[in-house]
Amino acid sequence: MSVEARSLPLPEPAPESLAMLDLFALGRQASAARDGQLGRRGTFVRARQLLASGGWRGPRDAAESTVDEADLAAVGGLPALRAAGIDLLVAPADSPHARAAAEAGLRVLLRVPYRVGEDDRERVHRLAAIDQASFGVWGVMPAPSGEPYGLDTLRFFALCRLALPRVAHLLADVGALGPRLAQMAFGFGADELFAPIVAERALRLGANAHNPSLTRKEAATLIRGAGLGPCERFADGTIEEVSA
Amino acid sequence: MSSFPEIRDKVRSAETLSFEDGVALYQHPNLMELGALANEVRERLHGDRTYFNRNLHINATNVCEASCRFCSFARLQPGDPAAYTMTLEEAWGRLRARVAANDPITEIHIVNGLHPGLAFDYYTELLAGLKRIQPSIHLKAFTAVEIFYFAKKFGMSIEAVLQALRAAGLDSPPGGGAEIFAPRVRKKICDDKSDADEWLEVHRVAHKMGLRSNCTMLYGHIETAEERVDHMLRLRALQDETGGFQTFIPLAFHPDNNALMKLPGPTGVEDLRTYAVARLLLHNIPHLKAYWIMLGIKTAQTALWFGADDLDGTVQEERIYHMAGAATPQVMHPTEIIRLIQNAGRTPVERDTLYNVVAEGAALIPDKPFRRDVRRSLEVVS
Repeated sequence: MSVEARSLPLPEPAPESLAMLDLFALGRQASAARDGQLGRRGTFVRARQLLASGGWRGPRDAAESTVDEADLAAVGGLPALRAAGIDLLVAPADSPHARAAAEAGLRVLLRVPYRVGEDDRERVHRLAAIDQASFGVWGVMPAPSGEPYGLDTLRFFALCRLALPRVAHLLADVGALGPRLAQMAFGFGADELFAPIVAERALRLGANAHNPSLTRKEAATLIRGAGLGPCERFADGTIEEVSA
Repeated sequence: MSSFPEIRDKVRSAETLSFEDGVALYQHPNLMELGALANEVRERLHGDRTYFNRNLHINATNVCEASCRFCSFARLQPGDPAAYTMTLEEAWGRLRARVAANDPITEIHIVNGLHPGLAFDYYTELLAGLKRIQPSIHLKAFTAVEIFYFAKKFGMSIEAVLQALRAAGLDSPPGGGAEIFAPRVRKKICDDKSDADEWLEVHRVAHKMGLRSNCTMLYGHIETAEERVDHMLRLRALQDETGGFQTFIPLAFHPDNNALMKLPGPTGVEDLRTYAVARLLLHNIPHLKAYWIMLGIKTAQTALWFGADDLDGTVQEERIYHMAGAATPQVMHPTEIIRLIQNAGRTPVERDTLYNVVAEGAALIPDKPFRRDVRRSLEVVS
C-alpha cells in the first residue's frame, strides 16, 4: 500500500513547562504529537551518502542520496549537490549552509547536540531557536556529545518533538544510540530510524557484532516492536507499509 | 482477558495478578501506560531509592558438561580451545588484588561451569580461602544448577551440599540457571541440566535453611510471552511458600558466539516491557534488578523507571555475558553508577548483598575509590 505524506497541522508551540513534565507524560505527549502529525507509523529509508572522496557509501539503487555538511566543500559545495542527485543535507544545528541548501531545494536534516546533565529548560530554549529558523527544516536528529544516558536521551527526544512543532521529522540515529535506545525513542516522538539499510547482514561475528546497519526486516521489526506501523520511505516522498 | 484498566485497579488495590493478566500486560500496546503502572509499584515499594553494590565476579572455570545452546561461555572439555580452570591461588588472587587496591567490595559473585573433573573440596576450599582473605566478604556462590550438579555428582542431598558449602563460607546462592521453566523451551535450549522443579527445589531448601537468594529469567530467545508469565508465576508461588527471594533479575539473551546466534535477541522495548510486567506480577519479591552488564547501561538506566530499583554493582571481570557479545564495560566505578542513578532522578543507595544499607546521602561519595584502569574497563571481551 502506498500512502502520501499528509500535510502537517501545526500543534501549539511547546511551553517552557515541558521541562517540568515527568518521563511518562513527556512520552505520551510527544507520541501524541507525532501521531497527530504523521500517524502511528515509523519509517526507514535506503540511503546512500556522498563522501568527501567523491565516492558513495550505500547501495547504488538507494531511494535517497545524502551528504554531510563536513564533506560539502570537498564535493564542490552546494551548487554541485543537485547535479550529483543529492536530496538531503545532514548538517549541524548551527550550520552556515542550511538556509542556502533549503533555498536551493534540498531537504535539511539538523543534528541537534545534547549532553548529559543539561537542564531541560536550557534545551527548550535552544530548540526554540531552531523552531524559529526562517527556512524549512525537514527533520532533526538528536546527537549526543559523548556516551548518552538512556533517560536523558528519551527526554530530549520528547522535547524535540514537542518544542519543534514546525519540524516534521525526528530521527533516531542507530549508530549513535544503539538499536535498543533508538527503538525506545519511538515512544518519545521519533518517527524515523537513521541507519544504513543493507540487503543482508552477515551473522554477528567479531567486529560485525555491533555494526549499526540494519536489514529492511530488522528495521521493520524494531519499528513494529515499538508499536508503530513500519513503513519504507522513497525518494518521491511516498511511503509504503512493510508487511509482517 | 482482563483489560488494562481492570488490571490497573487490581494493582492499585494490591490484588494478585493472574496468568491471564500477565499475558494481557505483555500484549498491552501502550508501553508508557505499562511503564507508569510499574513505576507506581516501584515507588510504592522503594520511593526513589535505587540500590547498587560493590562486587567482584569470579568465574573460576568455564569447563561445563552441560551444552546449553544459548551459552557462549562454556567449553565441554578441559582441553578445548579457550577452556580454563583457575587454580585456587588464581581465584583467591582476584580478591587479594582488590584488597590491595583498597577497593571496599562487599560481595563476590561466583558462577562456574559444571566441571566434571573437580573435586568437591575445590569448591569448599575456594570459599574458605576467600573468607580467610576477607572474613566480612559476602560469598554469593554457585547457582542452583551447580548445587544440584554437586548433589548428583558427589552423591549428597541438596541440603548436605548447601550445609557443606555454608560451613566453608557460602552466604547465599545467586539466581542464575533458571532460564525459562517451560519444558518445551528447556528441551530445546538446555535439556541436559537441572529442570525447573530441581532448580526450584534447591532454592526451597536454601530458603528453609535460612539462606536468602535471587531468581532470574533468561528472555528474548525462543520463549513465548505465556512461557515468561508462567516462569514468573512459578517463582512467585515459591516466594509465597518460603519468602526467601530478594531480587528478580530478568536476563536479556545475547546471541553472539553461541548456537542460537541466528536469533535477534530482545529489543529495547521488549526489555522495558519485561521489566514492567515483572514488577507488576511479582508483588511478593521486593527487588527488581536491571543487570547493566546484560541490558547495556542505557537500557538499564531507563529500566529504573519501568519497575527496576537495583542496578547490580561494580561487577569487575564478568566473563559469561561478555563472551556472548555484551558490549558493556567490564567494570563500572561507583561514581559512574551514582551519577547514572542521579541522572535518572533517583536516589542512590549502596547496599550489601542482603540489602542492608552500606552508605547513602553524603556518605556515598567514594572516599577510597579503587584504581581504575580506563583502557581495561572499556575493553570488550568478544
